[in-house]
Amino acid sequence: MKAEETILRLKEAFPDIGDDLKSPSPLRVFTPFLEPKRFEEVLIYAKDKLNYYRGLHIVGTDEGENLGFTYLVSNADGVILAIREIVPKSNPHIRSMSDIYPAMLMHERELVDLFGAEIEGLPEGPSYPLPDGWPKGQYPMRKEWNPKYFNKMTMTYEPPEEKATDTATAANDNKDNAAKTAADEKSTAGGGASK
Amino acid sequence: MSEGLTIPIGPQHPSLKEPVSFLITLDGEVVKKAVIELGYNHRGLEKACESRTYIQDLYIIERVCGICSHAHSYAYCRCVEELAGLQTPRRAEYIRGIVGELERLHSHLLWLGVAGHEIGFDTLFMYTWRDRERVLDLLAEIGGNRVNYGINTIGGVRRDLDENICQHILDVMDGLEEQIKYYAELANTEATLIARLAGIGILTRDDVIKYGAVGPVARAAGIMDDVRIVEPYGVFTEIKVNGVTDDHADVYGRTVVRIKEMLESIRLIRLMVKEMPDGPISVRAPRRIPTGEIIIRVEAPRGEDVHYLRSNGTDKPDRVRVRAPSEANWHGMKHMLEGFHFADVPIIIAAIDPCYSCTDRAIMLRSDKGDTVTDWESLRRTGIERYKKMGIDPSKIRMRTSGV
Repeated sequence: MKAEETILRLKEAFPDIGDDLKSPSPLRVFTPFLEPKRFEEVLIYAKDKLNYYRGLHIVGTDEGENLGFTYLVSNADGVILAIREIVPKSNPHIRSMSDIYPAMLMHERELVDLFGAEIEGLPEGPSYPLPDGWPKGQYPMRKEWNPKYFNKMTMTYEPPEEKATDTATAANDNKDNAAKTAADEKSTAGGGASK
Repeated sequence: MSEGLTIPIGPQHPSLKEPVSFLITLDGEVVKKAVIELGYNHRGLEKACESRTYIQDLYIIERVCGICSHAHSYAYCRCVEELAGLQTPRRAEYIRGIVGELERLHSHLLWLGVAGHEIGFDTLFMYTWRDRERVLDLLAEIGGNRVNYGINTIGGVRRDLDENICQHILDVMDGLEEQIKYYAELANTEATLIARLAGIGILTRDDVIKYGAVGPVARAAGIMDDVRIVEPYGVFTEIKVNGVTDDHADVYGRTVVRIKEMLESIRLIRLMVKEMPDGPISVRAPRRIPTGEIIIRVEAPRGEDVHYLRSNGTDKPDRVRVRAPSEANWHGMKHMLEGFHFADVPIIIAAIDPCYSCTDRAIMLRSDKGDTVTDWESLRRTGIERYKKMGIDPSKIRMRTSGV
């Protein structure tokens, strides 16, 4: 099934998301961010009715106040369908899809460790990929988490001022970086392409 | 009745050169249950990429894996190039193709050696690793380094291939082809090798689909998932790849697939060297990349390498996600181990070619006494002299191959 047909079939089955489906290149289809229940319906439909039988992987993204999880699945024609769900950081609760796509299991464990997702129905097993003794409640792939404040020796996360300033500090860092970048740009325009 | 004996293998173990932990529960000699624990090598590269510029990230991404560094940097460059709307020169794509196939050769030769070593066939290990050296020397000649060749840049490649290098590549291919045909014959006729590899670590076609296995593991079960064929990119839009599959679905099948793929890589390299067009090797890339997101796949030696990149209009990416082929193959591992003998565990694990970053070492040795640089020939001479003192004269032993 090609990308165009996938979009048509999804539009038929889920008219409410139809207009937001995107196909930036011939073998790619992206859904918009969906709430978890809707996401599950689309994922099961893609597996059962559209024959997207291969689970590729999951991309977790920080969406400001929310977390986005993009499940990539593909079919026999090599089309990659990106089905996405969004949940608030304050309650990042989703259901495990590893019973539908067993190949997603390890990637879901990654979402738990790196983004702090709470995944219902995830089979028991070792966590992945953070080490034992990693401090609870620290999710390194969230944007507000700054590796500068993580002490590898004591395995503790110590932002400089109490509470609050993670984001403020990150913003300052960004300002510094922006200034530095502007300076760099003047001196070395053109990047790495030299010939 | 006992619950069975549970044996921990790893994270540090002589037969597994990289940290990974297995808890194997046995019923007699048969593996009843396997629990795999990964993550010892997690270095936070994806997070690191978010605070660095696109060109700095290229060097981080290249170090995701020592063996398939080109596949990763190529996938990353393609992500950035497509988001920036860059059209890379054809010559650059040919050079990327040649380096990619050389990488496949050295990776598969490395694997064949490791497989030989795991089943106690160390002669094969020594033969294949000697041949791999020739490929690594070529890569060093092309990119300046044996691994992490740094050939890719955003917008093309960093180094051109001149006539001498092209001729050298062709010469090495002649010698390698002879050797690899010998390995193919070995795989077809050597009874011990076949007996040791056939029928173990089976992952059937259905299981490959279920667990999302990729690369030679999938192709050994008859599934053609080669990205160069499924979704041709770069030079492979012009030069067609003859896909290799097998129907054994076991470790033997994976061996056959890899050996045949090496012969195909040699054919492709010869063709690419012959057909390589003249012209520039890179185009100028902007520092800031327009907002967008992209999924790119490249066929690495171990299988499909998937990169996701999201840009936000600045000179740093918003999100970089790398799904290396080994990561996809771990899901089926538990299934491959259960029901087979404990003695087969190392070769079954090795058969997916898990990413052992063991490659980097010096290309030349400096003597203790000063600036003298020891090359391959003098190293060999030193070895022969050393053995002569011990009463053995290995100088009559001839190297098997010619033309290298």
